[in-house]
Amino acid sequence: MGQDVEKRPVEVVPPSVLSQLKGVIASIEKGVLNKEMRLMARANRQMFAVRRQLKTSTVSAIMKHALPAGSDALARLSPFVAALEKSEKDMDVDSPAITGQSHGSQKQSVLPEVEIFCYLLVTIFLIDQKKLKEAKACSTAAVKRLQQLNRRTLDFLAARVFYYYSYSHEITDSLADIRGTLLALHQTATLRHDELGQETLLNLLLRNYLHYNLYDHAEKLRSKTQRSDSHSNQQLCRYLFYLGKIRTIQLEYTDAKECLLQAGRKAPASARGFRIQCTKWAVIVRLLLGEIPERTTFMQPGMRKALRPYFELTNAVRIGDLELFRHVAEKSSSVFTADKCHNLIVRLRHNVIRTGLRNISIAYSRISLTDVAKKLHLDSATPVDDAESIVTKAIRDGGIDASVDHSNGWMQSKETGDVYSTQEPQQAFHSRIAFCLNIHNEAVQALRFPPDAHKKELESAEKRRERQQQEQELAKHIAEEDDDEF
Amino acid sequence: MEGKLAEITLLFQKFKAAYGKNDVDTSDNILSQLKVKLTELPGLPPLFKSSPTAVQELLLARDIFEHAVVLSVKMEDQDAFERHFLQLKSYYTDTRGLIPPSEQEYPILGLNLLRLLVQNRIAEFHTELELLPYAAHDHICIKHAFELEQSFMEGAYNRVLSARQAVPHETYVYFMDLLAKTVRDEIAGCSEKAYDSLSLADAKKILMFASDRDLQAYVLDDHPDWEIRGTRVYFQKAKELAPCKEIPSLQLINQTLGYARELERIV
Repeated sequence: MGQDVEKRPVEVVPPSVLSQLKGVIASIEKGVLNKEMRLMARANRQMFAVRRQLKTSTVSAIMKHALPAGSDALARLSPFVAALEKSEKDMDVDSPAITGQSHGSQKQSVLPEVEIFCYLLVTIFLIDQKKLKEAKACSTAAVKRLQQLNRRTLDFLAARVFYYYSYSHEITDSLADIRGTLLALHQTATLRHDELGQETLLNLLLRNYLHYNLYDHAEKLRSKTQRSDSHSNQQLCRYLFYLGKIRTIQLEYTDAKECLLQAGRKAPASARGFRIQCTKWAVIVRLLLGEIPERTTFMQPGMRKALRPYFELTNAVRIGDLELFRHVAEKSSSVFTADKCHNLIVRLRHNVIRTGLRNISIAYSRISLTDVAKKLHLDSATPVDDAESIVTKAIRDGGIDASVDHSNGWMQSKETGDVYSTQEPQQAFHSRIAFCLNIHNEAVQALRFPPDAHKKELESAEKRRERQQQEQELAKHIAEEDDDEF
Repeated sequence: MEGKLAEITLLFQKFKAAYGKNDVDTSDNILSQLKVKLTELPGLPPLFKSSPTAVQELLLARDIFEHAVVLSVKMEDQDAFERHFLQLKSYYTDTRGLIPPSEQEYPILGLNLLRLLVQNRIAEFHTELELLPYAAHDHICIKHAFELEQSFMEGAYNRVLSARQAVPHETYVYFMDLLAKTVRDEIAGCSEKAYDSLSLADAKKILMFASDRDLQAYVLDDHPDWEIRGTRVYFQKAKELAPCKEIPSLQLINQTLGYARELERIV
């Protein structure tokens, strides 16, 4: 370690990163020994902590440390790192130094987990360095290697590898190519009851289809696969988000709203981009359902700028002004197209008219249809007839409470009754109660105890013998007493 | 391979001739023969084997299916339309890189959208719409279907009926007629809730009937609860003013039992 610091006094970071990574590999090995999934997860988290500080030298060092020199795995991974090393000029100096000190810690055989971990490390490093083609090649090699292995302890790392495989293809714009592979992997995971892998792969497939707007295919896949309880919060959030998107396009807004809001709530606070996306779609779905989201949704820290177009849109819908709505839609159409919600925004036009109509019907007890057409800014050849048809449809759908007088050409509003005498308060209470009870049930189900906790309460074998002996003596005693009394 | 291709091309010419003469039965027969022959060509989906004649085969097959789609419209057979269109769709999506786009593509896509609208399959309408690239929205046939759906959703039915005059393609006429019928039912439903009564002349205009007799026949067939007294049509005989004050007891009981059960679980 001292040699490194002397030769390259500039870089102070590598030693500690290296030791951290060594610690990670040690915990992976321990995890495999005890078959503890949690250690794998912890190892993963530790690796991510040092992700930003990785350098090529560190990566090659850790590879040489973990994989015995001359092994297959090292041979397969070295080209990737070597290509990087060639492009950086000052790396030749330290390779002999590092090989010198890692001789002492060679292992006889290498666990597949460690190998896959190295693959993962290299892939992530390449992606961070923006060497996208190499990253794609590396992850494809990793997936091929995984297909040869079948170990349950690999599941966690395998899921991560699949994710980066799909990600590297997505940034190089070749997602359609891997659809077949993903489907085959999903099939294998289901056969092996690899639930985490199943879940991850299903999410990756859905993402693949939705990327190309193939909502139909995505829904067919989703409805036919069997899903077990979720193993990972992040995967559940992703699944809910994709499901919400599919439901929105299929016009099932209530389901969509529930899914999207849940996804946004369950997401970890650091996943800001994801939460912004969820909020955007949730806002649109709520607008389509006819409810206006509160101002606080748009004012969350860090999201204000991204949500600005949506805020203006909500404003236009709330006022019911078609002109303003058209203006906002045109102004921010690039944002909406990038978010793939352009068609949904167009569907909102209907809601704008409905809100405008509702405002008019509440404000006026009687108003002529020409005035209605003028206020709604309906631009067409026959605004009065349009207005009449729209009003009659709104009445039939229960949007407004009114009647139309055709001969005089006006619309007459009816009096609204007392809402407390209807079922409404009870429905509102019921939905809140159901929600709270649901949360309670889910929390109870999610409780986890350490595996041997309950054994402390049970008696050990000796105590049981003691107790049995005591009971026997007591029984004898009572029996003798009875005899004595006789 | 070339022999088969030449055979199919010849048969296709015969088909086009019969179709041009509006001879529907012969065209249908020839079409079935053509479809059987098409299965012998390996260059088509789902095999997509590449061969020197592959491009020709794809073009020919696509042409055949496009004509099949238009024929099923003429025969007024919606199921046949759906089948042929689904087969045609794979040509449009999967062969994008292999053969130049067909000029019938957008009119036929528009036709399909219209069909979904007429059959009231709005969810599928929107899913199909998502598949189209943004630039396609400007094409007249797609725009027509799109605006039609909007007017339908908003309730501006008069716009729907007037759009019938402005069809972009003569194959659309069949679906527009079907749509007119659906729209008329919708208008009737809306009018009955919105108006107390209408004069006969107004009712005729709104429901787009040609004569009084048609209107009366329609009312008798479909809406026996409307009354025609003198020169007015009355929609509701007597409004039920007594609001039912009954409490939905079964639902409330179920809910309360549910609460009790859950609360008991909280130890």
